[in-house]
Amino acid sequence: MTERELPSPVKLGLNVLWSTCWTGFPIKIGICLLFLALGLIHFEARIGLAFLMYLASPVTVFAMPILAMVAEPHLGEGAGIALLFLICIPIDIWATGVVARTLFLEKLSKEPPDGLGLSLWLKTALVGALFMPILWLVVGFATQTSIELSHSLFETEMLKAVPVAEKIGIELTLWGGASSTVLIVMMLLGVSLVGRVIRSAAQSAAPASGDYQALVTRWDLMRVPADQGLMLTATTLVGLVLSMLFWSGLPVSTPHPHECCKKPEVKAAPLYKPVDTLSKAEKHVAQLAAQVEAIEKQKAEEEAAKEKDKDKGKAGKAKPADAKAPVKAPATP
Amino acid sequence: MQQTPSSSAELTALEKVIAFVDERVGLKTIQAKMLNEPVPGGSRWAYVFGSILLFIFIMQAVTGILLMFYYVPTADHAFASTQYIIHEVDYGWFLLSYHFWGSTAMVVCVFAHMSQVFLWGAYKSPRELIWLVGLALFGIVMGFGFTGYLLPWDQRAYWATTVGVEIMDKTPVIGDFMARFLKGGAIPGQMTLSRFFVVHVMILPAALMGLAGLHIFLFRAAGPAGPFRGTPEEIKAKTDYFFPRQIWKDIVGMITVFFTICALAFWEPVVLLEEATPDPGDYHPEPEWYFLFLFQLLRLKMFGGEFGQFLGAIALPGAFMALLAALPFIDKDPERNIFKRPIALIGWIVVMAMILLFTVAAIINREFLD
Repeated sequence: MTERELPSPVKLGLNVLWSTCWTGFPIKIGICLLFLALGLIHFEARIGLAFLMYLASPVTVFAMPILAMVAEPHLGEGAGIALLFLICIPIDIWATGVVARTLFLEKLSKEPPDGLGLSLWLKTALVGALFMPILWLVVGFATQTSIELSHSLFETEMLKAVPVAEKIGIELTLWGGASSTVLIVMMLLGVSLVGRVIRSAAQSAAPASGDYQALVTRWDLMRVPADQGLMLTATTLVGLVLSMLFWSGLPVSTPHPHECCKKPEVKAAPLYKPVDTLSKAEKHVAQLAAQVEAIEKQKAEEEAAKEKDKDKGKAGKAKPADAKAPVKAPATP
Repeated sequence: MQQTPSSSAELTALEKVIAFVDERVGLKTIQAKMLNEPVPGGSRWAYVFGSILLFIFIMQAVTGILLMFYYVPTADHAFASTQYIIHEVDYGWFLLSYHFWGSTAMVVCVFAHMSQVFLWGAYKSPRELIWLVGLALFGIVMGFGFTGYLLPWDQRAYWATTVGVEIMDKTPVIGDFMARFLKGGAIPGQMTLSRFFVVHVMILPAALMGLAGLHIFLFRAAGPAGPFRGTPEEIKAKTDYFFPRQIWKDIVGMITVFFTICALAFWEPVVLLEEATPDPGDYHPEPEWYFLFLFQLLRLKMFGGEFGQFLGAIALPGAFMALLAALPFIDKDPERNIFKRPIALIGWIVVMAMILLFTVAAIINREFLD
């Protein structure tokens, strides 16, 4: 296949990156889950970004430390993050190799050179290290600017009366459209850079021999292990060990409850003893009855004393008043 | 001299059992029919969503049954029993969170599966019935999400259901009956919870099992559609049987989805809000995320008022579903390549962009209200 007949760099880059991402992902997510169960990783709210950086992309391995220095994207905590990143490297090299060899045989009809996976991975990771921070800064700037512009647009008198839901929708369309366009353009640029790396490798590769059916059979069998029994046994054993590790590490109760919704402290209720409770209640009732009786007695004595005082007062005043006014009936209590 | 067949003593116990069953039900014929189906153009990762959906449903059933051992479907115990599952039952938090994220994964995979069938043009003749049954299954999955959301009986559950039933009420002719039937009273209460619980654990699973069986039967009868591009020579060169490659891909897909759901359960375990009360307080009612776009659509002024609400909540989604159902009968062009069907491609992009836009707008609106 001549250079003219080779697919475009964007097509080549997309073919390899998309397939490599999904080839390595099942293994990476398994390891990530194990680390989560063992409490080695705590991801924060930006799960989409964490997914892209740690699990999906084979090109962010060198870009991530640079990004951490430039933009400080805090995606989570725990020693498992660095460990996951290191473990991802051999997985990505293997995945890039499998995908690239298939592409060379199936789509390009080229003989895949030895060490294709490692060399392609190294080059694409370097491209990623240079390009990712630029993409981050450009897209970040575009998003920030477009948000500010769309906000300021709705600050004008003419648009102040627009209802909230409509305002949010229009603003989102404006800044989302602008930042998505920048993101897509930048990503296509990055993918085309990776595509150029693959293209240069393809140009130097020798053409593959055999007809299409033979090539299909070759790349198909390339994925089938030579000793399937050994492969199956090894996979089962590894799966068993990892499952046991997972279940032994899985927390019995919620691992990290939210600050707002912490588990309430529950105090154990005292043991209920009916006879004791009844006798206590009886004593309490008797006590209360005695108190009531004492209060009533005290009240009666006070009233009696008051009556006496009133009678004395009346007796003292009765002589001069008798001549002038008729005697009134005593006020009822 | 007649040659005697190999003695049955040479067979192992397992082989004997298999031979016994095979003699009676034709096990080997069933196995051959199930595994040796040719897949035109060979196995593909794009074909895994159907199997993944079946796997998610089985896992939802398993975790749902385990949760039912502790869950009490009464208005005065539903919240407390869910709290008990989260805080007291060993690994209860994980089961509940898996069940919660499993429902989300099911919705995502339904969308992915429908998109794949649409973009591949696999709904076209002779696969119209598969598409129609698939649409019914989509409705059932949405029904699972809607009915399951009420069961924890917290403020989020109570108010999402209130909003959902109110939307349903706007359907002409049957809306009032449906709303009254589901609510069982003036406001959501014990009757609502009982009815949602029965629909969630009895009616919908039975309907899903029946329709999923029919879906698979129809799929096997019509056969896989295969890739939408490539020369006949290329497709023939790659054609392969269902076993082992497609099964291997399906298994890897299922394991990946299982790991992803587990990881999400760790990332965001289920946390309940306050117990449900008829007073929303500071809480701003909203439905589950996959209904958010519709909820945000109804906030627009053009969908205000009685007629506007009917238009946005019932007429538009109803018309869209009717269009999807009629699609195989409208689009009779045998061309399946999505890049040669610009209306279909643009239509799919517009629908996806609108769903994404309105969902994100609903999230921003929530922050604005808070």
